[in-house]
Amino acid sequence: MNKIDKSAYAGTLESSDAFIEIKPIDQDEIRIELHSSVEEMYGDDIRDLITKCVQELGISYISIKVQDKGALDYVIKARLQAAILRANQKDKIEWEKL
Amino acid sequence: MDSSINFSEFDFTNARRVKRVGSFLNSIGLDFPSSIEHFVIAKDNNELIACGGLDGKVLKGIAVAPSHRGEGLILSIMTNLINIAYSKGIKDLFIFSTPNNIELFEGCGFNLIENCDNEIILMENSNNLQIYKEKLFKQRKEGDVIGSIVMNANPFTLGHQYLVEQAAKKSDWLHLFVVKEDLSEFKFKDRFELIKKGISHIPNVTIHEGSDYIISNATFPTYFIKDKGRINELHAKLDLSIYRNHLAPVLGITHRFVGTEPYCVVTNNYNKNMKTMLEEPSGKSNPIEVVEIKRVEKDGQAISASRVRELFKNQDFDNLKKIVPLSTLEFLQGM
Repeated sequence: MNKIDKSAYAGTLESSDAFIEIKPIDQDEIRIELHSSVEEMYGDDIRDLITKCVQELGISYISIKVQDKGALDYVIKARLQAAILRANQKDKIEWEKL
Repeated sequence: MDSSINFSEFDFTNARRVKRVGSFLNSIGLDFPSSIEHFVIAKDNNELIACGGLDGKVLKGIAVAPSHRGEGLILSIMTNLINIAYSKGIKDLFIFSTPNNIELFEGCGFNLIENCDNEIILMENSNNLQIYKEKLFKQRKEGDVIGSIVMNANPFTLGHQYLVEQAAKKSDWLHLFVVKEDLSEFKFKDRFELIKKGISHIPNVTIHEGSDYIISNATFPTYFIKDKGRINELHAKLDLSIYRNHLAPVLGITHRFVGTEPYCVVTNNYNKNMKTMLEEPSGKSNPIEVVEIKRVEKDGQAISASRVRELFKNQDFDNLKKIVPLSTLEFLQGM
């Protein structure tokens, strides 16, 4: 299962949070569109974090749009995981994988 | 943020509350939006300090009290509105605003589509305009005169047919856009089919589905509330700028054909705006020549779709027969 079923989102636009929208795509690609208030300093780190997090969940056909307002790493990760779980709506969440 | 601030969805069946929000919006120079489905307000204790509304896929009436600006309230309002839109399955949103707010809404994930005369802007949070442009580009034809018509055809009459025939004669190729918004008496699907049947004898024309970017509730909300007797001129200009700067260049359009408008003030004004907006020189895009074609008359009256709707209401098929093509007549008889 390397795709997501439908689009979904998680998070808010508020300070120290991130608003993450994900969409299924047809290409085998993790497509990231990042808008961040700390792009200059942490843009690459955030992109690495997102890629790693998506790969850990075994997903590779996905488009991710992130509005980041200076969220800490674990916030971004949690928001992204929440969005992916919402998109796939599994009955049982495999907590040990998160 | 101060924890005493609370956000709630607003019940606007309550006239007293609507009045309160109305006067709040008036105090910062906005009107209460004419049509709105959901409205979110923020209150500090009992004082109204921010609000924002959703009408279909368009965000409207977003405002923050001057004394509370710079606190990030707008971000909470936007989050609330996006949550509501998502819960209704609407993901692609539009915002009308003024140019001073571009950066603010960019921070909420919106991209600028068009800034018209530095007075009004339209933004969207998807890249659907780009996708639509790519789709159009595939249907591009080369020629000296590439004509275009935008029509609602509610429903298709002999007048529309004449306009398309004349325009096609004057063009190497003609692009015909059908207004997509389903806010007219006749549904888009039916209007589109009737146009297709009514122009099947013309060889050099492509018929396109309109989109959110041509006379839609997003680009041009006041087009569909004509009974107000006045159209928002800014909306008309915005619609025309998008046409000129985004859509026409993709298809290489050089001309736009319109029928003269003897009855409807709104459309007549739109036509006038069109001449200025499309023809005046600009650094952004090539001018498009606007050609007015005189409407055909029948028994001393110009043929109009509103006349057809009136006759249809009275089931007057004898008179209808004179002003609509056979395909439209059959459709109306079958309704």
